[in-house]
Amino acid sequence: MQLRVGAGTDTGRVRRLNEDAYVSRAEQGLFVVCDGMGGAPAGEVASQMAIEAIIGQLDEHGHESASPASEAPAYLPHTERLANAVRRSNEFIYGQAQKNPRQAGMGTTIVGAWIREHIAGVAHVGDSRAYLWHDDRLEPLTRDHSLAEARIAAGLDEDDRSLPVEQLNALVRVLGREPDVDVDLKEVALQPGDYVLLCSDGLTRMVPETELAQAITQFQEPQRICDHLIAAANRNGGADNITVVVVKVTGSWWHRLLERWKRSARRGDDAEAYAAV
Amino acid sequence: MPKLTLQFEGIVLKEYPVGPGVTIGRLPDNKVVIDNPAVSGHHARVFVEGNSVILEDLQSTNGTFVYGRPVTRHVLHHGDEVLVGKHQLVFDVSGEPLAAPGPAIQGLGDTVYLDTKQHRALRAGIESARAEANRPAPSPRRAVTAPPASRRVGLLRVLSGRSEHAEYELEKHTALIGRSATAQVRLQGWFKPYVAVAIARSGDGYVATLLGGKTLVNGQPLTARYQLQDGDVLNVSGLSMQFRWKDGVAAESAA
Repeated sequence: MQLRVGAGTDTGRVRRLNEDAYVSRAEQGLFVVCDGMGGAPAGEVASQMAIEAIIGQLDEHGHESASPASEAPAYLPHTERLANAVRRSNEFIYGQAQKNPRQAGMGTTIVGAWIREHIAGVAHVGDSRAYLWHDDRLEPLTRDHSLAEARIAAGLDEDDRSLPVEQLNALVRVLGREPDVDVDLKEVALQPGDYVLLCSDGLTRMVPETELAQAITQFQEPQRICDHLIAAANRNGGADNITVVVVKVTGSWWHRLLERWKRSARRGDDAEAYAAV
Repeated sequence: MPKLTLQFEGIVLKEYPVGPGVTIGRLPDNKVVIDNPAVSGHHARVFVEGNSVILEDLQSTNGTFVYGRPVTRHVLHHGDEVLVGKHQLVFDVSGEPLAAPGPAIQGLGDTVYLDTKQHRALRAGIESARAEANRPAPSPRRAVTAPPASRRVGLLRVLSGRSEHAEYELEKHTALIGRSATAQVRLQGWFKPYVAVAIARSGDGYVATLLGGKTLVNGQPLTARYQLQDGDVLNVSGLSMQFRWKDGVAAESAA
């Protein structure tokens, strides 16, 4: 299994600063997007801290069993490690915010995918999202920790108008604001042809999911998908910072060859159809 | 400068300095606009008189309340909670943010965080709203409101082939079958795939995904994803196993 990767971040058209941060390491299979909050310079600090804390912890190889062995872990070892790294980075950011009054109240969302042995371990806190593209379908891998989602989960109507939009977007979980944080985890088995997309809410508030799906089918190449989606978010207003990471799962060389052949065969069909018109 | 903090269900919406005069109401010409049918067009006003700050009800339909009592004219003290419709206005003369700095909601696109206390207050609001709507709680789609229900567990029973155990309980989120050290079901033999199949929980069931090598499900090649059924027979690179629900569940479905 091989990974092809595209990534990009953009300030958008309204904000002056980019408080998003991301890491994209194909060789390690590690991809993380963070959306900082708390105003300059705290928001940038929080998202950057989270990224660095995750990288630092997952680079160390000696800490495999550093996790509390209270119960049998429910997830694969790499997912557990990612989760622990996220919890630890929460402590770092919280500690830093407590010490430094200029950074009081800073926080960040996080969505991370660590792909090992065909399995993506996904950890998330906040409203940055992960999607899986599989079998020509876009499937959300995360559910926002927002008031809107909490209300839906509680059985209230999605189109409840009693709360203003800003309030529905309010987050009920982020990194760095409280000493402990609950991290949502998920594991998904990846096959050649699948894509994993990570993004900040600057994308998902501006570009509907149908267009995300469309971009994947249309462009196929991860970097082109990213560039297209960032441009689309800006075209639709660019109200917030936009960060997109697209990971394409490809098979072995013969699988890729087969795929290329299929694609060219399809293109051949198109050409014929075109010629016939 | 003294200020009023507008809150709804425990969330800080906005803060208003109390200048020479602040009017509160539903219409846009008010300083504090509360767009809610329970609020009158011009509902109340707050103004400075001498050394005092006065709250006055402008003969509103639903009234203005301080600590639950209707008022027509009231001298505001630090910390007073004024109820207008369902919104709360907290009067503050300390010149500092009230309690924990609440999320001052500035506009669309701003990321705002509710701390646990605010969240709890809101959740209480949501709970009561649900009670009002008299709807049963939906199945716990997510552990946002309810702990996950105890889920039934499946297992793989080895029928033939080389394996470490005769039975594997699928308790984890993902069980790998392969030669890898992280695989729960370890395949033995040099030419077996490193990772052959992943069996992952999905809702109330399990989905098998082919990752490498050759796997048959009930004699048919596994290509993409497959939702396992009780009694399915998997042949993973020569290791034959049957998927069953643990305990009474299998018997139930067999009955």
